[in-house]
Amino acid sequence: MNESPDRVQQFQIEIESMKAKATNGANETRLLVLGVVVSLAGLVLALVGGIGVQQHSNEFNQRSFMATGSFLGIALLIAGAALFIRYSLARYLRFWLIRLIHESHANTDRIVEAIERAAEVPPR
Amino acid sequence: MTSPDGVDARSASVRPLLELEAIRAAYDTIEVLHGVDLAVRPGEVMALLGPNGAGKTTTLSVASGVIVPTGGRVVVAGRDVTGVAPEELSRRGLVTIPEGRGVFPNLTVKENLRMATYAGRPLAEVEAMTYERFERLGHRRNQVVGTMSGGEQQMLAMARGLASDPAVMLLDELSMGLAPLVVKDLYEVVGQIAASGVSILVVEQFARTVLGIATTAAIMSHGRIVAVGPPEEIEEKLSAAYLGGEREANR
Repeated sequence: MNESPDRVQQFQIEIESMKAKATNGANETRLLVLGVVVSLAGLVLALVGGIGVQQHSNEFNQRSFMATGSFLGIALLIAGAALFIRYSLARYLRFWLIRLIHESHANTDRIVEAIERAAEVPPR
Repeated sequence: MTSPDGVDARSASVRPLLELEAIRAAYDTIEVLHGVDLAVRPGEVMALLGPNGAGKTTTLSVASGVIVPTGGRVVVAGRDVTGVAPEELSRRGLVTIPEGRGVFPNLTVKENLRMATYAGRPLAEVEAMTYERFERLGHRRNQVVGTMSGGEQQMLAMARGLASDPAVMLLDELSMGLAPLVVKDLYEVVGQIAASGVSILVVEQFARTVLGIATTAAIMSHGRIVAVGPPEEIEEKLSAAYLGGEREANR
């Protein structure tokens, strides 16, 4: 077994000094689920706020329902949706990129095969 | 000197450059790796073998950072790098040569090599190093890569990987779609790269050639490592693993 101590040492130092935090795939799934839960909670709050405003004729009560229900609900809905889109989109784009690369290779192989076939055909 | 479980005693005491600890990985809801443990020590050539669909490429993708595991840890040079972006690892010397070569088919050899200069190495230096090791690429420097043979494209992929001065190299299915003679030549080059001190984890479905250069080998089946040991020992277990699954290979 061969070892190149200088390169190994340099590699170890570079990895050690790397400014990146370890994460886990489970975090991504958790945040995706959190996005769905938060947006659903936001939707429910917004609806409750809206219904509360409809049912009260007193302006102070209406404002209270709007502040704690509608506004907070809409804010949660937007934040949850953003979280969901961020993590579902990342996943989708990753698959999309892999698919593009795969198709590009398949196309290249087809072109090369066609060129090789054409080269084998004797000139008329 | 080898211990009873077949691991070289001296290498066992050296801290691995790449470790996979109880790795679990899934594609959406389908788990494909069920607790993979693997270690590549400095200067080691580890061959990861197994039938189609065993989870070898997924293991490599986890090691390179492309797939974030759902469980377990990826440790590089003693540091937990689970979930760290592949480009961060690549920039520091953990380089992947992917299955299907990953070269730009519409660019020339020279242009492909230029893409490898992102790490800061001058193009002239990258070219000189490449053409010295792969003479054929020198003759084809202005040829569009898509029109080159599979073997030449694989050479280019390796040259591009070497341009970033790797400490650990991950090779995925080097033999894919290539003639046996070309594969033999390519593995000779892999042997030379390993001799220069680069640690290599190579994934292969066709085992015989890679076992010739490997210092350690492992067999994967159904998302699990079922055997690890010296190449000679693993060679004996291969047919069982390919034909009879993990229970046979464990015997």
